[in-house]
Amino acid sequence: MQAVTSSIGRRVTSSDGAVVRRVLTGDVEAYRLLVERYRVEFARYAQAAVGDRDAAQDAMQEAFIRAYDALATCREPDRFGAWFFRILTNQCRNAVARRRSRVSLEDVDPAGGDRADASLERGELAEALDAALARLTPEQREAFVMKHVEGRSYEEMAELLGVGVDALKMRVHRARDAMRTMMGALR
Amino acid sequence: MMERDAFSREAQRYLDGERSGVGGGVELEPGERAVADRLLAEARAYHARLSPLPSVLDDAVMEAVRRRAPAHRAGPFHWLVAPQTVRVRPFWIPVLAAAAALAVWLAPRRAVPVPAATPVAAATPDTVFVHFELAAPQARSVAVAGSFNGWRTDALAMTRGAGGVWSVTVPLAVGEHHYDFVVDGSQWVPDPTAHVQVDDGFGGRNSVIVVGPKGLVRS
Repeated sequence: MQAVTSSIGRRVTSSDGAVVRRVLTGDVEAYRLLVERYRVEFARYAQAAVGDRDAAQDAMQEAFIRAYDALATCREPDRFGAWFFRILTNQCRNAVARRRSRVSLEDVDPAGGDRADASLERGELAEALDAALARLTPEQREAFVMKHVEGRSYEEMAELLGVGVDALKMRVHRARDAMRTMMGALR
Repeated sequence: MMERDAFSREAQRYLDGERSGVGGGVELEPGERAVADRLLAEARAYHARLSPLPSVLDDAVMEAVRRRAPAHRAGPFHWLVAPQTVRVRPFWIPVLAAAAALAVWLAPRRAVPVPAATPVAAATPDTVFVHFELAAPQARSVAVAGSFNGWRTDALAMTRGAGGVWSVTVPLAVGEHHYDFVVDGSQWVPDPTAHVQVDDGFGGRNSVIVVGPKGLVRS
């Protein structure tokens, strides 16, 4: 994130790199700037990636704490956001694994037989999508969420995930095919 | 409409935003377009159900980090006091064609002042001088960058010596440090002799060096 200066409000937003350097030289409170910035930026991603708001909040909190502990190893402080996103992604995967160990996927079977001919309400559509997302691989789920839930471009996704555009397209395409199959069972 | 298991290639391109379907080239078969549009609509409905996470999360994070050790202890004045100096002996091996990597090794119990011109800074009693070397005859510049200098590529430039061996002596605080060499300003070269290398988060590796309280250096 680049530093932004507003000539009207004279409000200056420090670049990620500047904030990281402040924290590394002992200004612990400056870390809040990064927490606020990326809580907002990645809140929806975390919820969609985990599939549960409370678990997503826990994952994000843990990611911020881990990022703080490892801050000295952040080689490119000006790209803190991308570095943090990968920590967050790992925490979200852990959260999904914990949820899967507690909740049998059969309990949220999207292909429940007596609903096959029902017309789903809007909220039910989202719930069906959530159930279908839960059946994707972690990589497919992350890619689908970033592309279609968050509306990011492949270039943005590549920057955040550190994965090439072609590979990301492949993940998204496979995710869509899987989603089509799973959600088709609802209609 | 006949049900398919997968989207067609054209449908995938449509979903990627490459084709509008209106004046954008090949039209999708109506049934498949309906399925694609429904998937997009469901994703939008899902997004609409998500909400920002509360700012109380920030408070919880800050409360946790305040209880932890500082993220980094080595500030700019950390090196400016009388050091415990140990002589370190380079242990280096050839590496790829242009850059041979190098590293640091130590003669632990021998405390010898390093010549004044060699170290880049003084150090505190809980630091030791570590001598980094890299054999890179064809390099135009070499630096060492690590957690001890904010990964700045211009802060610890190495000096070229005989045979194209670049070196610099750096006072390091007791503890664990991550580092790499930077050749010609852009090529990151990890230390292949390091006991531990860790993922740098960007697809590369960072070397790890551990400086002990009595001067023990392990790389």
